[in-house]
Amino acid sequence: MPRQSTRTKKPATKALEAEKIEKIVEEKPQKEQKKRGRKPKQVVEETPVEDKMDVEEEQKAEETTTQTKADEKPEQQEEAGSDSEEGSDDEEDNDLDLDALDESDSDSEFERDLNEKQSAAGIQANKYQKAAEESSDEEEDEDEIDIDELDVDGEEGEEVKAISRARQTINNKQGLLTALKRFALDTTDKVPFAFHQSIVAKKVTEESIPSIDDDLARELAFMNQALEAARVGRALLRKEGVPFTRPTDYFAETLRSDETMEKVKAKLIEEATAKKASAEARKQRDLKKFGKQVQVAKQQERAKQKRDTLEKINLLKKKRKDGGGPTGANEAEDLFDVAVDNELKGGPGGNNSKKRGRDGKEGGGPNAKRQRKDAKFGFGGKKKYAKSNDALSSGDVSGFSARKMKSGGPAGGKPKKFKPAPRPGKARRKAGAGKR
Amino acid sequence: MAAVYKSLSKSAKKVEDTENDNNTTTTNGGFRKNKQRVLILSSRGVTYRHRHLLNDLAAMLPHGRKDVKFDSKSKLYQLNELAELYNCNNVMFFEARKGKDLYMWFSKVPNGPTVKFHAQNLHTMEELHFTGNCLKGSRPLLSFDLAFEQEPHYRVIKEVFLQMFGVPQGARKSKPFIDHVMSFSIADGKIWVRNYEIREVEKAKGEKDSEGNDIVPESDKSSSKKRKGAPNAELKDTDVSLVEIGPRFVLTPIIIQEGAFGGPIIYENKRFISPNQVRSELRKAKATRHNTRVEQVKERLGKLETLTAQAKKEKDVLDTRELFA
Repeated sequence: MPRQSTRTKKPATKALEAEKIEKIVEEKPQKEQKKRGRKPKQVVEETPVEDKMDVEEEQKAEETTTQTKADEKPEQQEEAGSDSEEGSDDEEDNDLDLDALDESDSDSEFERDLNEKQSAAGIQANKYQKAAEESSDEEEDEDEIDIDELDVDGEEGEEVKAISRARQTINNKQGLLTALKRFALDTTDKVPFAFHQSIVAKKVTEESIPSIDDDLARELAFMNQALEAARVGRALLRKEGVPFTRPTDYFAETLRSDETMEKVKAKLIEEATAKKASAEARKQRDLKKFGKQVQVAKQQERAKQKRDTLEKINLLKKKRKDGGGPTGANEAEDLFDVAVDNELKGGPGGNNSKKRGRDGKEGGGPNAKRQRKDAKFGFGGKKKYAKSNDALSSGDVSGFSARKMKSGGPAGGKPKKFKPAPRPGKARRKAGAGKR
Repeated sequence: MAAVYKSLSKSAKKVEDTENDNNTTTTNGGFRKNKQRVLILSSRGVTYRHRHLLNDLAAMLPHGRKDVKFDSKSKLYQLNELAELYNCNNVMFFEARKGKDLYMWFSKVPNGPTVKFHAQNLHTMEELHFTGNCLKGSRPLLSFDLAFEQEPHYRVIKEVFLQMFGVPQGARKSKPFIDHVMSFSIADGKIWVRNYEIREVEKAKGEKDSEGNDIVPESDKSSSKKRKGAPNAELKDTDVSLVEIGPRFVLTPIIIQEGAFGGPIIYENKRFISPNQVRSELRKAKATRHNTRVEQVKERLGKLETLTAQAKKEKDVLDTRELFA
């Protein structure tokens, strides 16, 4: 271990490292361990990342942190102590503390291991920390804090035996702040805004996001944050006289090449045209649907006309029968025709309807004979298998009753109350016949 | 054009500096100059998406230095020397694992800290068909969520972002106008990074010309003085709107180390679950179905065995059936 070189840095790192290391130990209930067939020692597992446990963890952390801290300290302190023997003003208080610390040192093997690891890490860290120079009084302050804690915590050192391994949840706030102080830029009001151009929002963005899975709301929240920043930033920069807006005649290379922008534009155009095309198609479809309706209406109208003319003809026929006497068949027919013509001409149909009226087949639908036959025998469609069972009919057991089955009566019928009189015997029949 | 502008604006700046002496003293004496250079590189085994994201970020950082892929994933401390070689004081290292997971290391080089992130939801500029665009190398406004101020580790992260993504004033290839915002927000324990173009929405058309003329050729005192009065009037008339440019990505902080690629860990995110673990959980969940089936089969076979064994068991001599058969 290169003591000489690392000597000066030691106190700072130690302080950072040990200040607030939280060790979270999860003690599984004994039952569970037995079930798994492990030895019923306290086994500490990696804490799964669950917020539910946080409360529990934190409680335990309070107990354990103190213990672990106590364990880590002594070794490091020893090192520090040996360093300080070489003599430096900074380290003097370390020396003093050592005595107190040695007492609190415990000697279980595990603890040794842990300590060694920790100190090894510390040494490695120191290599990279040579350049990081801290003011000496800062270090001293931290040391003192450590020592105070150690003195209190040392008494609890014995309990640590139970802990075999623990996952550390580290949030070394002091260390973080020191690190921050070491490299942070000055972004206070003293420096011009143009120096850093960073704006911290006035509110927490997460609060305005109802659900993290809601993409739209989330992006909107982000955008609002950025928009606010842009407004504030612009105002500040303007105040400082820093050019903000790019003039229209300033051309320079852009972040996204013209090629990409062309692509984006093409994509936009494509999208627009696709939208347009789909709208057009929908329109066409609607038209088509409407056209069909028109057609149907036309057909209905025609049918109506047909009916009307037929009715009129029938009416005329009736009139004929009632009014005209038998005045020669030929004459009558001629007259009838004329009358029909007249009637039709008067009606709304005009030429078309007249034509149809004459044309029996088209105008009046099928002739009477055909209509009769249709009514009698049915018209169109497949007749074969019409009466055979299908899935539905065979599945229908509404006509079935177990009681009827058991009553022994004739299948299908209920026990008949009014039987038709049984057929009389032959003799009686004959007798009857004789009577007649 | 750019060179001409630069010279013009330089002279204008000089004028301004002489104008308000208080400002200059603070700028020169009060704080050190912000000098940042970022070494941007990836490990081997990055996917095309990782690579494109890296290129996007590199394009956004005129103070960045892109380097070839770094060979090792374990000896990251070598990056320190590499950065020194290139005169960089920041390292942005993309570590790809298993050809799918991306970890991003942000490190301040000589003496830390180092922040390790897990990057998810990567969308490069090209694949996001946003209409925004901005000058290459213009200095961004950095917008941080208020949450960045509330926790020490977030403060560290914010500072790292500020120094990496913020283009330092007067950086070599930077452009003199500000036309984009980078926003960093914290939601769900993750940091969401977005990049927007600032577009000025004019209410009257005449305004724009006057503004353009005003700002650009600023060579004499009187015009600069005039301009100082002007912005307020302009602010009322023009408003800004944002158009997203890309890329988009989400970072989950994992650890913060005190040193540069080394040193004690001063923060560890216990909410972070490694993607490997997530995947294995998924696989396990899937496997349970099969496992239960197998178990059932085993159970059935076991039962059968016991039954047959019972049947085969030798008959007891004193069994009633034997006795009275």
